[in-house]
Amino acid sequence: MKPSKPAMIKNYLKIAWRNIVNKKVYSAINIIGLTVGLAVGLLILLWVQDEYSYDKFNTKIDRIYKVNASMGSGASQQVWSGVQPPVAFYAVKEVPGVEDATRIMGAWKYSKFTYQNRGLRVTVPMKFVDDSFFTVFDYKLLKGNPKRPFPNVQSVILAESEAKKYFGDAEPIGKVLKANNNDLFTVSGVMADIPSNSTIQAGILFSTELKKREYSTKDMWKSMDEDWGDYYTETYLLIKPNASTTTIANKLTAIHMKLQKGIKPTDGVYQLQPLAMVHLYNANGSPAGAQIVKIFTIVAVLILLIACINYINLSTARSVLRSKEVSVRKIIGAERAQLFFQFVFETVLCFAIAMILAFALIYAIMPIYNYIARKEMHFNLLSAGVWEVIGLTVIGTLILSSIYPAILLSSFKPIDALRARATGAGSGTFRKVLVVCQFAFSIGLIIGTLVINSQLNYIRTAQIGYDRDHVFSVGINDNIMPHLDAIKTELSRHTEILGVAAGASLVSSDGSTGDTDWDGKPADVSMIINPFSVDKDMLSVLRVKFAAGRNFTGIKSDSAHFILNETAVHRAGIKNPVGKRFHLWQTDGTIIGVVKDFHFASLKQTIEPAIFLYNEKSGSLFIRTTGKDAAAAIGLVKNIYDQYNHGDPPFEYKFIDDDFNRLYKSEQSTSALFNVFACIAIFISCLGLFGLATYTAQVKVKEIGIRKVLGASVLNITTMLSKDFLLLVIISLVIAGPIAWYAMNKWLQDYAYQVHLSWMLIPLAGIAALLIALITISFQAVKAALANPVKSLRSE
Amino acid sequence: MIKITDLEKFYRTEEVETIALNKLSIDVKEGEFVAIMGPSGCGKSTLLNILGLLDDPDGGSYLFNNIEVAGFNERKRADLRKHNIGFVFQSFNLIDELTVFENVELPLIYTGVPASERVSRVEKVLDKMQIMHRRNHYPQQLSGGQQQRVAVARAVVNNPKLILADEPTGNLDSSNGNEVMELLTDLNEQGTTIIMVTHSEHDARYSHRIIRLLDGQTVMENIMI
Repeated sequence: MKPSKPAMIKNYLKIAWRNIVNKKVYSAINIIGLTVGLAVGLLILLWVQDEYSYDKFNTKIDRIYKVNASMGSGASQQVWSGVQPPVAFYAVKEVPGVEDATRIMGAWKYSKFTYQNRGLRVTVPMKFVDDSFFTVFDYKLLKGNPKRPFPNVQSVILAESEAKKYFGDAEPIGKVLKANNNDLFTVSGVMADIPSNSTIQAGILFSTELKKREYSTKDMWKSMDEDWGDYYTETYLLIKPNASTTTIANKLTAIHMKLQKGIKPTDGVYQLQPLAMVHLYNANGSPAGAQIVKIFTIVAVLILLIACINYINLSTARSVLRSKEVSVRKIIGAERAQLFFQFVFETVLCFAIAMILAFALIYAIMPIYNYIARKEMHFNLLSAGVWEVIGLTVIGTLILSSIYPAILLSSFKPIDALRARATGAGSGTFRKVLVVCQFAFSIGLIIGTLVINSQLNYIRTAQIGYDRDHVFSVGINDNIMPHLDAIKTELSRHTEILGVAAGASLVSSDGSTGDTDWDGKPADVSMIINPFSVDKDMLSVLRVKFAAGRNFTGIKSDSAHFILNETAVHRAGIKNPVGKRFHLWQTDGTIIGVVKDFHFASLKQTIEPAIFLYNEKSGSLFIRTTGKDAAAAIGLVKNIYDQYNHGDPPFEYKFIDDDFNRLYKSEQSTSALFNVFACIAIFISCLGLFGLATYTAQVKVKEIGIRKVLGASVLNITTMLSKDFLLLVIISLVIAGPIAWYAMNKWLQDYAYQVHLSWMLIPLAGIAALLIALITISFQAVKAALANPVKSLRSE
Repeated sequence: MIKITDLEKFYRTEEVETIALNKLSIDVKEGEFVAIMGPSGCGKSTLLNILGLLDDPDGGSYLFNNIEVAGFNERKRADLRKHNIGFVFQSFNLIDELTVFENVELPLIYTGVPASERVSRVEKVLDKMQIMHRRNHYPQQLSGGQQQRVAVARAVVNNPKLILADEPTGNLDSSNGNEVMELLTDLNEQGTTIIMVTHSEHDARYSHRIIRLLDGQTVMENIMI
């Protein structure tokens, strides 16, 4: 008669639970290790899942493509994620494979909206979009007409949370908002808040028809649909099923070449990028966030493996204690398969307890995790997606952790065990290999952390070519602009203020253009250049150095003067550039100066060509002060601003250091997370080491007693117990060091400017791991060494 | 019931071959109580392991109820063992994580006895062994004599045809040891065949027949009157 399953399972459950309760120390080590491993592994994998989920709420995602534009060829090729405004227009009109197209452009003109005398600063992104925005994408228009969302050019669509801010629970449709105390907009629609896993983010939408009004027949580009020179539009195409993206891209390029005469064949060549890849990959196909996602996935797997190794090692090491039970069960009738399932069940119970504790831990630390990771993830147990991650993680680690110990533990021969001939199941060599693996992973993470921190530190302290210390900026609005000269003069009179300038921020470039020309420009050369509008003081306030020529002086002719950086001069091949002709947009001018290169983008990129044009009143106001005078300087500026703004909008400032750091927020976030992961990996590895050390001390209690009787000192005993484990850590370092070194060097290739890695990092990581291991082991080793040998030898 | 003929068992290491059983032949009739004695290393425990289907001989024949079992694989031996043989060990070998009731119930679970029948059979056996009042205790909470009574209960709960006892009183004082021997005698009187390995002449006198081994061979048989 076959044994009944419920009876067996009840028996397994009883044994499993009682084993956990009776062996509290080992159970705690196992469960804590599994809990921390599962919690951290799940958190990372939830983050990975979130990254991969971007834009996937779009039901037509497999047919939506972003149009990117390639400039130049060979080593100087660049791929821009913005294209010209007419691309979408001609895509729909003349390209057969295109079903629809939509454009998205940034809108920065308005900083405040007022409704019924209540004004609110804009805190959300604002965009110009086409009517097709709601038909190409699946952003939900809760109120309004998705086919005609903007009935007229002064229509505005608000996100639901934005609408609530202005109107509360009242009906928003038809209400009128005043922008910057000037322009009136009528709410024509309310859309659901755009989810955080959308590449496109906006809280307020205007029609592109409004953007079109910024063009004038007096400008070089007379209308938006003719502007082939400015690459500032995000353009998305909804292609027909089975349409060829290559054919569509080629057709678009042909249209461009036909309509923009004189352009080089390698400039403005279009490429289509699937929407599903936009979040994680750059326009040129190189991994942006994708690399970090891969790295974090590997880290999650490593941490889970470390937790599994812990469990396997402790279970198999202590298996000799179960040998009698296994043998008795076999003698009284258990089959090997039944014993196998018994031990698998025990692992299942451990995992179940660890999983519940892991869930609790995740809930507790989710806010901190979101803060570090700069996300808004939710651990929602009602979400199928979350259970997908949980299921894969738990089942994967459960299978890994349960099979080997169950196979070994069920293999004991009855006679050997009963004759006390049984030794620990499995080979000690395999356990040592597992410990080496654990510490190799941990050391790898430590090296990764050290390298990332080194690179971040390098970035923070690198000479970027201008002095960003103690410089803060404030916006120039319509109240301030007419009085800018007076404000600058007033501020300059104060000793707390070392300099005042107006213009574009040098921290990062806002845009670029290919509308350039110079004498001797070869027909087959084009140059994308980054323009910065600045007054005569900006370059001196930020202490940008000159390589040749001079700065703007504020005279009238400065409107036709340009200052280039060294890279621009070099790329253009202009010899002795000062005094030479240079053409930008519609302006034919003269180069009056060349500044030394400085970084106006992340140190991941090489310095690109830059050009400075004179404009006394543009951009923001930049004020240099000193460290000790900063508060006073800010107060001075606030007082003056409030005189003109009367507190509305409220005064705001930011230090350009913060702007600079924002370029690296992803790296900072990565660094912080890596620090945490390395600590977690080490913690779990040490838990396992602690358990093994405890077990080793227990099984060697007789040997220790005998050695002490024969004269061994505490140091002798401690060394005896520790040296095997420390040797394993050294082996781990030898294995992990070169691999981590290679991997981190590859990571650094993403940066045009890298820290020089010292080989000392490897032994440093090794010493750290050794010290941590020694502290972990020595607690048990010293305790065993201090024990009274009489007690351990009494039974002999 | 048991007929072993020219049974051989060797233990080999790299340098040495030890002959544990040297063409041993023994018959045991159904209902007999046989004691096996001999000095250390004479092959008593090896013989008991083979009789209990825990080990396989290297030569010879072993008929158990007229079935040749020498050469059975582990699965067949396990199946025959759980339905026909009960074991009593010197060191009791109870499972510490199970209560007295659960320890005795375990063989019934492995042979697929339904739950309701298991309860009644276990209670009957515990009652017989006069250990019912300790049914919910764990082995660590019992004296040596009580533990051995539980072990005997576990050995008989499946109504085996044969009980193999390996020094059943070895870890007990004389009073408890006598109690256990009385239990085994009772079982034998009810028809269970018992083969017991012992060093104790006192215990051996409970048996019907003593087989003395030396160097893996029978050297003497005494019939106890």
